[in-house]
Amino acid sequence: MTPGPLLLLAATTLVAGIVIGPRARSAWLANTLAGALALVAAAILILLGGPVWEWRSVFLIGGEPLHFRLDSLSALFLALVGVVGGASTAYAHEYWSDRDRPHSAPQGRRWSSAMLLSMVTLLLSANGLHFFIAWELFALSAYFLITLDRGRREVRAAGWLYLAASHAGTVCLFAFFAALASRTGSWELGPMREHAELAPLFWLALAGFGLKAGMFPLHIWLPSAHANAPSHVSALMSGVAIKMGIYGLVRFSGWLPVSAAAGWTVAGIGAVTALLGIAFAFAQNDFKRLLAYCSVENIGIILVGLGFALVAESQGASLSVWGRLALAGALLHVWNHGLFKSLLFFGAGSVLHTTGTREMSRLGGLWRAMPWTAGLFALGALAISGLPPLNGFVSEWLVYLGLLDAVTNHGSAAWAAMPAIIVLGTTGALALASFVKAGSMIFLGSPRTKPARLAHECGPWMRAPMLALALGCVAIGLAPAIFWPTVARAVGVWQPAWTGIDAPAPLFALGWVQLSLAALACAAVAALWWQARANGLRRALTWDCGYAVPTAHMQYTAGSFAGIGAGWFAWILQPERRLHRPRGLFPTDAIRLERIPETVLERVIGPVASVIMRVSTAVRRLQHGHLHYYIAYLLMGLSALGTFVALGSKP
Amino acid sequence: MERRCRVSGTLNLLIGLAMGLNLLALASSRLPTLIGAVAVQGVVLGVMPLLMEHQFDWIVALVALGTMAVKGFVIPGLLRRAMRTASVDREVEPSIGFVASLLLGSGGTIAAVALSRALPLLPEHAGSLLVPGSIASVLTGFVLLIGRSKAISQVCGYLVLENGIYLFGLLLIHATPLLVEAGILLDVTVGIFVTGIIVDRIQRAFDSLDTRKLNVLRE
Amino acid sequence: MMSFLEIVLRVAGWLVLAPLLPGIINKVKAWVAGRRGPPVLQLYYDLGRLWQKGVVLSTLASPGFIAGPAVTWVAIFGAAMLLPLGPAGAALSFRGDVLLLIYLLALARFCTTWAALETGSAFEGMGAAREVSYAVLSEAALITAVLTLSVHTGSVTLATMLEPAAGAGAALLGAGLFCVLLAENCRVPFDDPNTHLELTMIHEAMILDHSGPPLAAILHGAAMKLLFFALLLIEAVVPVGTLSPFAAAATLAASVLAVTVAVGLVESLLARLAFRRVPLLLTTAFLLCLFALLVAWKGGAA
Repeated sequence: MTPGPLLLLAATTLVAGIVIGPRARSAWLANTLAGALALVAAAILILLGGPVWEWRSVFLIGGEPLHFRLDSLSALFLALVGVVGGASTAYAHEYWSDRDRPHSAPQGRRWSSAMLLSMVTLLLSANGLHFFIAWELFALSAYFLITLDRGRREVRAAGWLYLAASHAGTVCLFAFFAALASRTGSWELGPMREHAELAPLFWLALAGFGLKAGMFPLHIWLPSAHANAPSHVSALMSGVAIKMGIYGLVRFSGWLPVSAAAGWTVAGIGAVTALLGIAFAFAQNDFKRLLAYCSVENIGIILVGLGFALVAESQGASLSVWGRLALAGALLHVWNHGLFKSLLFFGAGSVLHTTGTREMSRLGGLWRAMPWTAGLFALGALAISGLPPLNGFVSEWLVYLGLLDAVTNHGSAAWAAMPAIIVLGTTGALALASFVKAGSMIFLGSPRTKPARLAHECGPWMRAPMLALALGCVAIGLAPAIFWPTVARAVGVWQPAWTGIDAPAPLFALGWVQLSLAALACAAVAALWWQARANGLRRALTWDCGYAVPTAHMQYTAGSFAGIGAGWFAWILQPERRLHRPRGLFPTDAIRLERIPETVLERVIGPVASVIMRVSTAVRRLQHGHLHYYIAYLLMGLSALGTFVALGSKP
Repeated sequence: MERRCRVSGTLNLLIGLAMGLNLLALASSRLPTLIGAVAVQGVVLGVMPLLMEHQFDWIVALVALGTMAVKGFVIPGLLRRAMRTASVDREVEPSIGFVASLLLGSGGTIAAVALSRALPLLPEHAGSLLVPGSIASVLTGFVLLIGRSKAISQVCGYLVLENGIYLFGLLLIHATPLLVEAGILLDVTVGIFVTGIIVDRIQRAFDSLDTRKLNVLRE
Repeated sequence: MMSFLEIVLRVAGWLVLAPLLPGIINKVKAWVAGRRGPPVLQLYYDLGRLWQKGVVLSTLASPGFIAGPAVTWVAIFGAAMLLPLGPAGAALSFRGDVLLLIYLLALARFCTTWAALETGSAFEGMGAAREVSYAVLSEAALITAVLTLSVHTGSVTLATMLEPAAGAGAALLGAGLFCVLLAENCRVPFDDPNTHLELTMIHEAMILDHSGPPLAAILHGAAMKLLFFALLLIEAVVPVGTLSPFAAAATLAASVLAVTVAVGLVESLLARLAFRRVPLLLTTAFLLCLFALLVAWKGGAA
């Protein structure tokens, strides 16, 4: 069976979804879920080793014939689109329902179909022009999804920032595709490593795709967009949309001839992105911003893997086999991050849905009201911190192993691999700290405010997608060897010299260890619980060394939890503090506010932009509507030109 | 040949020790520790000329002993006495934090090792840590001078810097032994006199040894 | 293939011998202070008693409060199984197991801090915040130490990495790992296991509200972690893997004793650091490991 009919089915359902979305709610849901299933099925067909699917048509769009191709690399991303797209569709059914949002929910259905469709087209396109058109449609539909709740000012601001940043990236990509087409003489995309003169174009692609992926310092749009979008959209953006940037980078770094410098740059940017992304995440007090910055970190890990794969390739792919491990780890991390980040955003959405606040320090103790959400969020937190026996560990392990092999090879790559490993280790510890903070501040302790006390569990339509994603996390974690062939095929598409590699034997061992660890942990929990129960369980107030009446306000807050670690990064975080100490014998008020600005945006781009604005305001004064002055400008211009010509022609 | 190999091994070990003492000086938060680190470094460096000479030489031995005595005992003793008599607070007040200066210092050390490979050195110095040790000490001295505000810790910074220059001078010991030694000793002595006088003046004028207060003089 | 008997022996060894270490440390401390001190086997009695006791749960605590200590214990136990014991090797060994080891310790940290934050107490929040923050530095040091061993031996399998000594940089690496041992096991000068000032503690502050069997699991896990780090330190510095089985066993036992006594002496002779100084010492540990790495790299390149 070929994926053709399945893809056709998916395309039909998605197009139909755009049409019927606003009106027929349930039909749209069934329709989109069917489409997502078809997408996953098509991707699985290819990933299980099916031949590359190609489809050419005589239809012309923009003067170019349609040409679609699905190989293992794009199938890997297509599967993610299907899974997360389907989950987000189901989640939105309850989360962004017609009852609560009569105006924006119908529009949301239309745009999410459009976004899925444009992402699928983008992944399938084998023609530069169509790739670019799909990219632009994808960026636009994401904008409309982010600003679904556009009554709120910060949502509009986030949307504008996203749109502006996205178009800055589009400019780079336009230049990239145009230059590519003009140099190769055709819009057709495919391997072109033999054209050595194309190598510089990779830098344009890096800027354009990197901006979408959220690599530092081009990540400025990401935190506010992910935090302010509705949570199902955040999940889609973080789980899939930014991966389109990664797809672009992986795709074109595989097709274009790439210099060694590009590999070093990508790896270096990746390491910086990972470390600073998680440092920003740790300091956040808004849990959705925390998750957003954590996406930046994970993109960094993926880029480290990709960068070292590029370095390995430039040193001779057959010699530096360690590169394939790094790339396989990066590609598996694309899946893993898609799964657990969407899971976490869904969990965050459930909390936001019932409490209405994104401030961690206004929550607490939610596990009692929402045990499912709390449990699944904890699982996601374990996974994203890269802890065994879940999936995050598997992909990070592969990346680490690639880097360690680079070090033990004693090649020139070792010099970069050693600091990268240390940075990754530090990043892992900080990620753990961030997610202990997020999970515990939201779900543990006692409720800090009234909305937190009145919280309730989310309904089945929101719980089911979370459960499905959590199962995915567990499956990849416990049986990594099953997923290896699919990733290995994608690696083979990227670099043909690395095709047909067997799963590294340690991966089987790792799978068994993870499985037995999980079993042992369950047994230990059961044993301990049983023993505690048998000895007698008694409930009492938190002892806390003898506090008679502990109150919710005595608890550690998000800011205090991150205090030590965030202090180490104060040089880049630049926190804004407002402190009003309690004074006198009977102090009435005390204030301590802390805000972590988006440093790159507010400290670098903001000032530069305001200078530009000031200059252009000054220049705009010349535009005042008095005709006689305009004639004077004309005269001045003419005489200036005349002088210029006269001076130029003299010698 | 074997002896030279062993000697250069010991020499490298000593320089490594001196580099470690650099980091200790950067990390120490109390003046006595800082002075102690500088004193030990002085003794370690003082031993080195003895190891570098192929045959025993009275003059070199005397100079080495003198260096050890001055750098390891006299100057630290003077500093300790100054600290006592001026009743200086024993906490070092950093304007560059300890962790930051430690990271700066070790980064500088690593960079110095990497840099010295690129330098066109004589083959006999190629495997030696003399040059990196010297550069690292000079850098450490600068970090101490910039990042510590008390006059005594600045003197220590100056001494570490001085040790770095001394190490560099050792490269020339086979060519012009006595001159190098004498120059070094003279330099150190002058430095200490100057700093001693400065310390004394600051103390009299401001009743404090904090150089930050010197900015009162700017008008 | 490892025989069933060997596995049983190994597991029993870890489970039974680990609680001896805190007893020895306390004995050393008592001896230095001129007291008689608690018996060396005190922790065994404590564990036995705690296992039989009932549990007082905070009204705020979720099931995670009991699951946390259990998973922590399993994670440390798993790490212990991955650690090779001289020529006897590890219970399980594969390429890249060293990373699993580091991340198992991280898993233990996650579960301990998670369980600590269940109670909504400020002290336990304080302890957890310190634990996760300082762990960033000690993890950097630990991973640098692993890199050093990996560069020195050209391998990423623990059994091979720990077989020879760490070479020229062994002293640096040993010092760095000893600092990490003290920090990770919350000993003086990072933390004081005996203090009664909750404000100044890390690990003890996190387990204030635990009681009964979960507390027993935590205490036993902590003892195993101490033994684990002592063995890791010894095998990184001493070439135990190249010795004959009996010599290796004797060396391991003697060195573990030496490390334990050293911890006890440090605890008796040093004061706990002020908290703002802790990052400095951990950075020093990291730098020691980093310089060991450079020495190993130079040694490997030459």
